[in-house]
Amino acid sequence: MGRKACRKWMSLGLFSILLVPGAIAQKGDAAGEFHDRIDNYLSAKKKQDIAKKPTDSPGKLAQEKQQTAEKTQAARPEAQRGDIFTPAVTDYFKKQIEGTLRGPNGDKVRASLRHAEPLPNVQLQVNAKYPSNLPLQSTPPTLLMNLPPLPKKLQYRIVGSALVLYDMSSGLIVDFIPGAVPAP
Amino acid sequence: MKQNRPTMYRSAVLFVAACVFALAGHLRPAQADPKAGTAFVPSTVLPQEPAADKLDIRIPLLDKSVRFAVIGDSGTGDRAQYEVAQRMEAYRQATKFDFVIMLGDNIYGSHSPRDFVKKFEQPYKPLLDAGVKFYASLGNHDDPDNEPLYKPFNMGGERYYSFRKGEVGFFALDSNYMDPRQLSWLDQNLKNSQGTWKVCFFHHPLYNDGRHHGTDSDLRAQVLPLFQRYGVNAVFSGHEHVYERIKPEKNIYYFVLGNSGKLMTHDFGEFRERVKGFDSDQSFMLVEIAGDKLYFQTIGRNGETIDSGELPRIHQ
Repeated sequence: MGRKACRKWMSLGLFSILLVPGAIAQKGDAAGEFHDRIDNYLSAKKKQDIAKKPTDSPGKLAQEKQQTAEKTQAARPEAQRGDIFTPAVTDYFKKQIEGTLRGPNGDKVRASLRHAEPLPNVQLQVNAKYPSNLPLQSTPPTLLMNLPPLPKKLQYRIVGSALVLYDMSSGLIVDFIPGAVPAP
Repeated sequence: MKQNRPTMYRSAVLFVAACVFALAGHLRPAQADPKAGTAFVPSTVLPQEPAADKLDIRIPLLDKSVRFAVIGDSGTGDRAQYEVAQRMEAYRQATKFDFVIMLGDNIYGSHSPRDFVKKFEQPYKPLLDAGVKFYASLGNHDDPDNEPLYKPFNMGGERYYSFRKGEVGFFALDSNYMDPRQLSWLDQNLKNSQGTWKVCFFHHPLYNDGRHHGTDSDLRAQVLPLFQRYGVNAVFSGHEHVYERIKPEKNIYYFVLGNSGKLMTHDFGEFRERVKGFDSDQSFMLVEIAGDKLYFQTIGRNGETIDSGELPRIHQ
């Protein structure tokens, strides 16, 4: 290998070393931003939360869920799409989902989504309740492995092609990314 | 008094129609009064069960065995669910099973207090009154927050949990949301289980050939390695509204029972791994585990035994 070629490969290597941590930092920033926003959501919610305990009474459970929903809605009166999934976070999530679908288990993830219960056209709205009479589509485990972990009471759900951030204790849609799951 | 023929025919037709009308009214669950709060009392009167000594019982009823019933996709609140429940109670009296595992979709549709009564408390009242415990797992139609907190489902407030009966360790999983946290919990709990038998139950089947949903192969890719590593012996799932027994795969027995309330007729495709399938009526299962044997009997709504057998524990 000549000196010129050697110098070319060395500069390419140096460029890669500089570039890769940058890319990781970018991903880290988006995931970090996401977690900060989740923390903010939960700390606002914590003030309103009801400590639920197992009970024989379905009436009590329904009442507590309704109260939690109302208080959470009241705590975020200005809530809108993008509060959690900012453009940078959305971009990061879309890449993670796309990467999962292109990965070794991609076909299985697609099949799992395809086999889910067909849903009517659900109108998603931030800070509104997910319709309690509709099933929640299961979220493929491989996809969950590639998304940032969530606190216990929050879940990622797929509705059509949207990724929904779902608050179990209130039944509310916290935020969502339309078209997060690309068509095959 | 003499009647001419057309009049006689008309009277006969009217009489039959009146009988059908009366019977239909008698069997239809009463409409809930919206003003009556949570009280829902179906007026369903079902045919009498045969006496216990006339039941077809194919499990051996051994001393100190673990005996339980299995239902899946049960919570419709329809007549078929009530009839299966009544059949279960007849078999409970004869076989003395003392708990039931639920494979998800325990409450379909809305989850108002009245739904819990109509779709669970009322149909299984005789069983609940007799002290039978129900252990629920969550299906895609269930509420992942309220149902784990509902004491009669014995979930201890968790989406997934384990319990032990005799020599059998049971693991109720939430297959709707198999996140890394649950996988790690499953890994730890299977590893630490001292049960001779390990039985997992959850909603989405790892193997089945139903046309409505089919297999969840992504779920299988994540949980099967753990099942194999820690020697799970039997897996019960629902979701597909049929009964299906699959050939043992990698030393694990698989049952699909998603027709204790819902039913999907003519649902089967071609599947060489199926040992037995039933998609023409609702059903439930009786299971007895003693020593190295698992005995099972699948019973249709009309009391017919659909499938039964004795399966040895396959050492892994």
